[in-house]
Amino acid sequence: MGIQIKNVSKSFGSVKVLKDISVDIKSGELIALLGPSGSGKTTLLRILAGLEGLDEGTILFDGEDITNVSPKERKIGFVFQHYALFRHMNVFENVAYGLKVRPRKTRPSKKEIERKVNELLSLVKLENFQDRYPSQLSGGQRQRVALARALAVEPKVLLLDEPFGALDAKVRKELRRWLRQLHNEFHVTSIFVTHDQEEALDVADRIIVMNNGKIEQIGTPDEVYENPKSPFVYDFLGNVNIFRGRLQNGKLKQGQFEINAPHYLDSHDDAVGYARPHDILIEKEQVDNETVPAKISFIHIVGPTARIELKREDNGEYLEAELPKEQFKNLQIQKGEVVYVRPKQLKVFIPEDFSI
Amino acid sequence: MLYLSFIVILPLSMIVVNTLSMSWGEFFETITHPRAVASYKLSFGSALAAGLINVIFGTIIAWVLIRYDFPGKKIIDGLVDLPFALPTAVAGIALTTLYAPSGWIGKFFDFKISYTPLGIVIALTFIGLPFVVRTVQPVLQNLGREVEEASASLGANRFQTFVKVILPELYPAMITGFSLAFSRSLGEYGSVVFIAGNMPMKTEITPLIIMTKLEQYDYVGATAIAVVMLVGSFIILLFINLIQWRMNRKFNY
Repeated sequence: MGIQIKNVSKSFGSVKVLKDISVDIKSGELIALLGPSGSGKTTLLRILAGLEGLDEGTILFDGEDITNVSPKERKIGFVFQHYALFRHMNVFENVAYGLKVRPRKTRPSKKEIERKVNELLSLVKLENFQDRYPSQLSGGQRQRVALARALAVEPKVLLLDEPFGALDAKVRKELRRWLRQLHNEFHVTSIFVTHDQEEALDVADRIIVMNNGKIEQIGTPDEVYENPKSPFVYDFLGNVNIFRGRLQNGKLKQGQFEINAPHYLDSHDDAVGYARPHDILIEKEQVDNETVPAKISFIHIVGPTARIELKREDNGEYLEAELPKEQFKNLQIQKGEVVYVRPKQLKVFIPEDFSI
Repeated sequence: MLYLSFIVILPLSMIVVNTLSMSWGEFFETITHPRAVASYKLSFGSALAAGLINVIFGTIIAWVLIRYDFPGKKIIDGLVDLPFALPTAVAGIALTTLYAPSGWIGKFFDFKISYTPLGIVIALTFIGLPFVVRTVQPVLQNLGREVEEASASLGANRFQTFVKVILPELYPAMITGFSLAFSRSLGEYGSVVFIAGNMPMKTEITPLIIMTKLEQYDYVGATAIAVVMLVGSFIILLFINLIQWRMNRKFNY
């Protein structure tokens, strides 16, 4: 089912949590709502579910205005961060709940419910757990029960609120892959909220990056990672190094350091350049002015990459570089050594009222 | 364990020890005396009735206090504890005056409330109320909105959500509240003697019979009746605990 969100605004008291949000979601998409806490992403999800009202705007499901339709009639499945399982019901009863509360006319027969629940339980790999109570399950198992429960009502949209937020790293990764698979099989339009950029980049077809109640960028994981539209998106999706300076004749300058910024030929403002750690080169000799001197303060090697923390000699700011282990070995650098850091790719933004 | 023995078990065992100085015949005669039997019925019956009333209305009060905001909520919340703090005799006198045939409330009713079993039930309801409210309240507080929302998103209506999701979560607390209120009511003396009227066979509660016997220096007789109460309340509390245990097994708090 396609979803259209049109000019939605919402305030809690005097705080505007959503400011004029408009998004089109195509049928069958897997969407990540990504943003820091307080960005309004959960509120948007809850508005889609009908658990929260909105102040302005409309929401269309397949072209039909459902802005004032109650949650029970929206045909959605909602998965809560803390599972919200019914503690006094066992796994089977939890999953069957949505079918059992249907009005008699549309309620499936007992046998039918049993068949359906068993099917779902085998889908979430919990066939042998149907008599257990939620308190007897691990976090990952509980979340799978919550998913099965939401899927039991055959929702047209699946909404997940930080579905893996409360789980440990390993289980999280597993469930992530599993959600992706599930989505490939069912093709139900799914939207999940997360503050974990890795999770969003890993799973989603498209990512909606939110900040301060506004949408910063919508795009595929590749688009938002490689081509961030704003400093915020740059900073939020992955680690970033900051080079402050002043624009002059198409160059970003700071002291000795200057680097080309061809997009800003005519500006003479203060600006900030952003570079990802893996877009940073380390050189032992100073070749030109496009490098800054920095002292290596920490070297950390995990698996195939070496992470190097450096302190700039000129202004004392910290930089982070990531390079392949091979390259690191060839460089033959050590902690405490002064090297020259060259941003390979620098994306320059003129800050409006933005600071990190 | 030692502490518990000193505080609870030792005093209770003294009752039994004291009673042992009676012969079986005497004991049996004392505890089956028609006046005593009538008082058991009254005491257990009215405590049960008051407990049930309290479970229903106490839960409603707890619900309102948790879920709704209204001016004076804090004061109402504090008022709930008043029956705890008030000397029971004061409560008894106040209730008797209110419900007496000429009292502010009593005069609206064609039948007598004070000096009847109904009056006793009212007094017991009054003193037992905080138990239910205070046990249900925290459970309700911790019961997140999420389970309700989950229920709604799965297509349940308000009534189904309440009956199938919320009430089962509250049962254990309601039962605890009930058993507390019930046990307190069973032993209540101060507030009841005023409103009961203490007519033998009609409105005489068991604790009063014990008191009367004590005043006549019939210590052994008093403890004999006490043993009956002890055994009776023990059986009832055991039964309640069994139900609770069965329920708790599911939750594994």
